[in-house]
Amino acid sequence: MKDPDFPLPDTTWEGTRGFWEAAAREQLAIPRCAACGRFQWYPRERCRACGGAELPWTVVSGRGTLFSWAVVRRALVPAFASKLPFVTGLVALAEDPAVRVVTNLVDCEPEALRAELPVRAVFRPLVFPNLTRSVMAPLFTPAT
Amino acid sequence: MSASAADWGSASEIPDLAGAVAIAGVGEADHSQASGRSAREISAQAAERAIADAGLTPRDVDGILYSAGFGDAFDARAFHQHFGTSHEIWESPRGGATVQAATAPAAAAEALRAGKARHLLNSFAVSWATQRSQMVGGPGQFHAEERYKASLELPFGWFPQPVYFATIARRHMIEFGTRPEQLGSIAVSARRHANLHPGAVMREKKLSLADYLARPMLVDPLRVEDCCLISDGGGAYLMTAPERARDLRRPAVTVAGVGEGRSGTGLYWSQQRDFCATPQVFSAPAAFAMAGIRPGDVDVLALYDPFTIVSLMQIEDMGFCAKGEGGPFVEGSALDFDGGRLPLNTHGGLLSHAYVLGISHVIELVRQLRGEAAAQVPGAEIGVYGGYTGHMASTLVLRRA
Repeated sequence: MKDPDFPLPDTTWEGTRGFWEAAAREQLAIPRCAACGRFQWYPRERCRACGGAELPWTVVSGRGTLFSWAVVRRALVPAFASKLPFVTGLVALAEDPAVRVVTNLVDCEPEALRAELPVRAVFRPLVFPNLTRSVMAPLFTPAT
Repeated sequence: MSASAADWGSASEIPDLAGAVAIAGVGEADHSQASGRSAREISAQAAERAIADAGLTPRDVDGILYSAGFGDAFDARAFHQHFGTSHEIWESPRGGATVQAATAPAAAAEALRAGKARHLLNSFAVSWATQRSQMVGGPGQFHAEERYKASLELPFGWFPQPVYFATIARRHMIEFGTRPEQLGSIAVSARRHANLHPGAVMREKKLSLADYLARPMLVDPLRVEDCCLISDGGGAYLMTAPERARDLRRPAVTVAGVGEGRSGTGLYWSQQRDFCATPQVFSAPAAFAMAGIRPGDVDVLALYDPFTIVSLMQIEDMGFCAKGEGGPFVEGSALDFDGGRLPLNTHGGLLSHAYVLGISHVIELVRQLRGEAAAQVPGAEIGVYGGYTGHMASTLVLRRA
């Protein structure tokens, strides 16, 4: 928690730079093994399935289903106090449901959420009080 | 959706140590909210009490186990500083609480077998309530500093632990129909036990199921009552060979089995294949096999319970009921010490006794098997501790000697 931009990500860190660069272009990208075609999430240096070392960031559809979620009603982290209540959870990607992306569910009442709800990515800047920097991020909303 | 057990984690190889180690002394520090004490001071108090309980003196302790993962540990140097001793002490960082509260006896067995130590003290303490008031340390810090979590989870507010476990609880509800009042029955039973325990932080605070259901959500579907306390406190237990323990002043309790399991996705809980399970599916069968027992033989259970849902999942994963049937299994007074089908956390657990990360769970089991617990399970002969840290779980089977 020493990072002055907490809780924003360090978008330049090599481990996840491809994710945040794609988000800035309003795309969702996940590393995919060039050898066996499997998605690798979270990113790793080598493919868990075949050991392949080439895992280019690959743009996906941004469609998926809601795997699970939590409705944060009290500020556990002061930086999020202004957002309460908010919904954070896991979306299973259409291309490979074993890939679960952590995100926020937006433009939807928490009461309307249900398991396996079809959702799609929308891109919004993550903004926090007292931080001048903001970061474009993939959030999810019910697919129509 | 659920993967088979074999492909998302594994059990650790632990040499058979059934009957090789006894617990001859236990001691708890004072558990409290913010106290201003350091973890080392708290450990020292617990150590004094455990050594006295065994009828030994500090000079008799020639083995020390502490936790490698926590600063301010009560290692051999701290022991000597506190007691003013200078004798030779074998020490190992394979002790402490959480998972190691169950596996420390495996390290002790090696030292006993090799003749490196005769009386081994395992201690653990935290001063997180004091630290929280100063906004440093605590259970969330590690996760906030892990780089993938910092980049892919924190920006969305998927942090800290109550958010993780609310998400897991929701999925358990989705897959198995688990209901809030079933989680509530775990919290209510823990509180009832804490109300009977002299050292419990929540000793004076009652909680009924109606109270629980009327409480507001913290992170829906979890309420504050589903979450552990944040405490200052600690404990220690003293191990020796069973034949030596018979000569000491207290009834000995024997280590009958130890197990350890781990998840292949490590600390990235969001990616764990079997999302609603714990590595107890790997750990418990190994420990039960070493002890030669079945789940039905267990008289009293103590589970690392940072959240109600973690107890529920471990009950399933250790084989006390089928996966997904934990909700109905824990309903009503099923976990109560006096007539419940599976007495659980009879001291109040992390939820209502103190958040000392499992060391008091083991101490409580020893007291149960000696027949001296505050909420005594009549005739308890076999007690089991389930440790948990997210990516790992452990199991300790204790037997009345």
